[in-house]
Amino acid sequence: MSDTTTNSSVESALSPTTGEPVEVTGARDKLGVWMIIVSCTTGTIALLVSYAYLWSLNVNGAWAPTPGHANWAPVWPFWVIFTAMFIATLIMWNGYRGLSKGNVGGMKSAALLSSLLLLAAFIGQVVQIATFPFGPADGGYASAVLWLAIANAIWLFVAIFLATAIFNRTRAGRVAQENPNHARLVAMFMTYLCVASFLGCVFTTVMQESPNTNSPPFGTFSQ
Amino acid sequence: MHLVKEWLQRPYVRRILWITVAITAVIIALSFVMVAFMNQSGGPASSIMDEIEKTMFVLTIACAPLMAATLAVLTYSWWGGWGSVAATDAPTEDGPGIKTNGVAVVTWITICSLLAGFLVVWGLVELATITSSSYGSVPANQQPNSVKPVDVNVTAQQWLWSFEYPDSGKITSSVLVLPVNVPAYFNVTSLDVVHSFWVVEEGVKIDANPGAITNTGFTPTKLGTFNVRCAELCGLHHAYMETQVKVVTQEQFNSWIREQGGNKTS
Amino acid sequence: MSTAVAIHEEAHVPQPKQVGRPGGFLRRTNFLTALISGVVTAGVFWVVTDKITTAVAGAGATNSMALPSGLNINITMMYIGWVIGFMAGIGAFAGPIRWFLGHDLTHADAEYMAGKDMGREKFWKFTTDHKVVGIQYLVVTLILFGFGGLLAMLIRTELGATWTEVFNPNFYNSIIGTHGIVMVIAMIIVISGPIGNFIVPIMCGARDMAFPRLNALSIWLLVAAVPPLVSNLLMGGIRDGWTVYQPLADQAPIGMIGYQICIITFAFSTGIASVNLITTIVRMRAAGMTWSRTPILVYGILGSSIMGLVWFPMYQYSQILALSDRTLLTSFFVPASGGSVWLYENLFWLLGHPEVYVIVIPATAGMLEYLPVFVRKPLFSYRLAVAGIFGVVGLSAVVWVHHMYMTGWAPQSNYPFMLSTEMISIPFSFLVLVVLGTMWRGKPWKRLPMMAVYAVVWNKVIGGITGVFLSDTPVDQYMHGSMFVVAHFHYMLMGAGLFGAMGVTAYFFPKMIGRYLDEFWGSVGFWTAFAGFQVTFMSMFVAGLQGMPRRVLQFDSLFNISNWISTIGAYIIGIGMLIFLYAIIESWRNGIPAPDNPWGGKTLENFTTTPVPHENFPVLPVVTSGPYDFGTPDPYELADDAIMQQTEGAEKVSAQS
Repeated sequence: MSDTTTNSSVESALSPTTGEPVEVTGARDKLGVWMIIVSCTTGTIALLVSYAYLWSLNVNGAWAPTPGHANWAPVWPFWVIFTAMFIATLIMWNGYRGLSKGNVGGMKSAALLSSLLLLAAFIGQVVQIATFPFGPADGGYASAVLWLAIANAIWLFVAIFLATAIFNRTRAGRVAQENPNHARLVAMFMTYLCVASFLGCVFTTVMQESPNTNSPPFGTFSQ
Repeated sequence: MHLVKEWLQRPYVRRILWITVAITAVIIALSFVMVAFMNQSGGPASSIMDEIEKTMFVLTIACAPLMAATLAVLTYSWWGGWGSVAATDAPTEDGPGIKTNGVAVVTWITICSLLAGFLVVWGLVELATITSSSYGSVPANQQPNSVKPVDVNVTAQQWLWSFEYPDSGKITSSVLVLPVNVPAYFNVTSLDVVHSFWVVEEGVKIDANPGAITNTGFTPTKLGTFNVRCAELCGLHHAYMETQVKVVTQEQFNSWIREQGGNKTS
Repeated sequence: MSTAVAIHEEAHVPQPKQVGRPGGFLRRTNFLTALISGVVTAGVFWVVTDKITTAVAGAGATNSMALPSGLNINITMMYIGWVIGFMAGIGAFAGPIRWFLGHDLTHADAEYMAGKDMGREKFWKFTTDHKVVGIQYLVVTLILFGFGGLLAMLIRTELGATWTEVFNPNFYNSIIGTHGIVMVIAMIIVISGPIGNFIVPIMCGARDMAFPRLNALSIWLLVAAVPPLVSNLLMGGIRDGWTVYQPLADQAPIGMIGYQICIITFAFSTGIASVNLITTIVRMRAAGMTWSRTPILVYGILGSSIMGLVWFPMYQYSQILALSDRTLLTSFFVPASGGSVWLYENLFWLLGHPEVYVIVIPATAGMLEYLPVFVRKPLFSYRLAVAGIFGVVGLSAVVWVHHMYMTGWAPQSNYPFMLSTEMISIPFSFLVLVVLGTMWRGKPWKRLPMMAVYAVVWNKVIGGITGVFLSDTPVDQYMHGSMFVVAHFHYMLMGAGLFGAMGVTAYFFPKMIGRYLDEFWGSVGFWTAFAGFQVTFMSMFVAGLQGMPRRVLQFDSLFNISNWISTIGAYIIGIGMLIFLYAIIESWRNGIPAPDNPWGGKTLENFTTTPVPHENFPVLPVVTSGPYDFGTPDPYELADDAIMQQTEGAEKVSAQS
């Protein structure tokens, strides 16, 4: 009943648990991942909206980092981290495309390279958070940027797990030419992460100084 | 058309229509009861509250026929107008196989859409009306009124209200005193958490937000003492965060200002 | 194309290597190991965090209290430890770890995890069988309602005792908030949980849900989320309404962290459950079940799941950011440091509004599902019902500001949102027409589910008209923040939602449990609660009209009479609900055994045995017609046709002559 060899023909790989063709279970998995992406998108929007809203209101004049001991975050680290994620995603897609044509070794190295790039991005993100020129209590901008960065870090961690898993599974033969779906799903999710990260980069680059320069001081009625 | 006439001849249709008429009458009567409850503490005391009560009548009467028709069908079915099968028995035959009825669907959707449309238009017009007679989105210095309005700065904090009259030498008071028939405009803020400035019988409410200034206004039309309550949970003594609004004559208002140590600036 | 695989073929499917005994790590995990693991991990996280925060607090600090938010950080990490530990202890991490390592599940593993041949033990474990998960949801829901109901009795006792303060205001404020959130959570899951999990896959003609392991994950995440919430009352309480508006929530003691962790966890549970339900409904309906033959309950759960999936992260993030303000001292909602209360309110209500439809749509769809069976007529205008459901789902996204008319956030926005709020009544009216049309000229079979329909439509009409009042901004200027709002949403969420859920549960009870719900005691409980409900909340409308604010434990003597009446009504509700609970428990143990088709319905779950076998169907069904194929030819139409034929015949004769 148990069999260590996977199936022989390319067209008829079957799911071990339900016996259905992997195209069928793969279609379900794909819809599931799309739904997860939809839900995560709302979360990303929540953070971006928070950033933009606090930027536009400048409540009590406290959006900008407190002058004197805090500063805007430098912009280039955001883009470097994003670029690493972007390249990792391209590599993963490339690996998947190669796998569909039979290049298992290519998929393995793509997944490995992707994982390492994501790991570098994660480390970079953590370093960026630790070296922000402000603390969490330094106003609206500080709070919003901090959480965009924390969210990115958390999702990077998840992405490392996913990419390394694909590497492992390809080695174990669980991801193969006749059953490549999981690699595709991980690549899809990484694409979403790139989009979310990109938007975060745009917001933090373009929206720094608040347009609202005369918000009333807290608790008073004067302008 | 003769199909509709034929439909109206059916006994159950007639009975349901009569029940609808009866329930509509009850609902309309209830609208008077509702407004009576709203006036129990002395209102309406401003034109805004008048508009609100008028709207209650209009909304109820407009929706009454549809509500009544729904309840009438419900009642007729429940009372066994079309028969019924007891709980201890089991159904032995199927009912009429009506999958849909184009006329019913179109009629229903049309009526509901017209009703919704009417409610929207009424509501939008009403909102514009009460906004123009209160601060709303129109700044004080653009009011076309000939009477100079009374400006009040309302500060909410845990757990009391303070009112400041900036035009009268910045006197402060914990009771809101206003002259009758003079528009009053309010700038509202909070020193800590979200409160809500509710002048009950005058029909106005606006949240008091920390870090922001919101506005409302009304013209009191009735002399008397009315209620100001906090309408947003603000902590331990939220239930006790009440004060009064005293609407007095212009002379009484002026002398009150002088008593508080202020000067009437106009 | 049928992907049906009969059981005997699966032995020939190539299997991965069996790692350990079937089930692996899950052989050793259950609720008890989860509890122990959760508590231990919570303790470990507390200790470790304490050490770290003490160190961060700097030289001379003896404990983490030296850091301004030190205690908050400790409590937060403790609760996070509880959730992680609990999930580890139930075996939730085994799946991802095995996937990561490439040790995929074999068929034997899957059968073990589905609880095949396992007896009662499977209800205490990480079991993937959707029928087991459905029962687990039912039990958790009953517990949540019991707790929320107890809190309601306490609230009404306080409000009825107008001459004194029974509880101190902080405790009172905590119990109203806890009552609110417990009931909201219970109502979100009451139909999608038990019925969505147990019945919907069978009704779709599938063997299980799309992602069985995610199914188990969603119920156990819910279980993990409950203790943090409930424990808030022991930790100073949340001292805020269920909406936990900032910045008041920031002033609350550490009990608030329990609320926040609960919501963050519950959001994951709900999101996962939504993904599962949507994928199952979209991809696993039986051969021949086209979208025009899909039962309306399935549509309702689909619509509700879509709304929950899309909008829950807004609420989740509002709590994450609030927790961040509390622990990291960020200032998302601290106005003095650049935060905005309106940001919180918007994030909250962006979910808060679709949420009420997440609650009401499944209950309504459930009643539409079984109403044809009890009048033995087709569902009136099935397409209109589907349009109504998706009209509500679509419009629910653009009405949230009606909860914020009075915030002063953007007064000009009140106009378009009043428009959208009125517009949403139109698709809702479609659903009402479908109920009335189905009832029309039908002979109701007066069993409890049918009688529940009458109760629910009555409540919906009252909830509906009062909703029209509140949607009108000028009227809301009087009503917002008063007891009128409380009565309105109880009429919708409890009157239509909960009583509807009771009817739907009575309908599916025989299929799920194998026994009919006791008709007599179920009805006595239902109608007692219904009568009490009318008394309580009609009187509450009066209190609101008179000008009583909400969330107050002491008030003007003008409101005394309406509060006394409401309290008496509430005790009657309590008695009725206890009787209904008794009916459930007694029927579960000793009820009349149910046949394969308990009510004479035509949906797929009636074409398998009761109790439902492990694989749901020996052979997967193929659907050839819609589920509401009741009805004999309409005698009025036949008469019309006869008249038309006679007229045509007479015309032909006169034309010929």
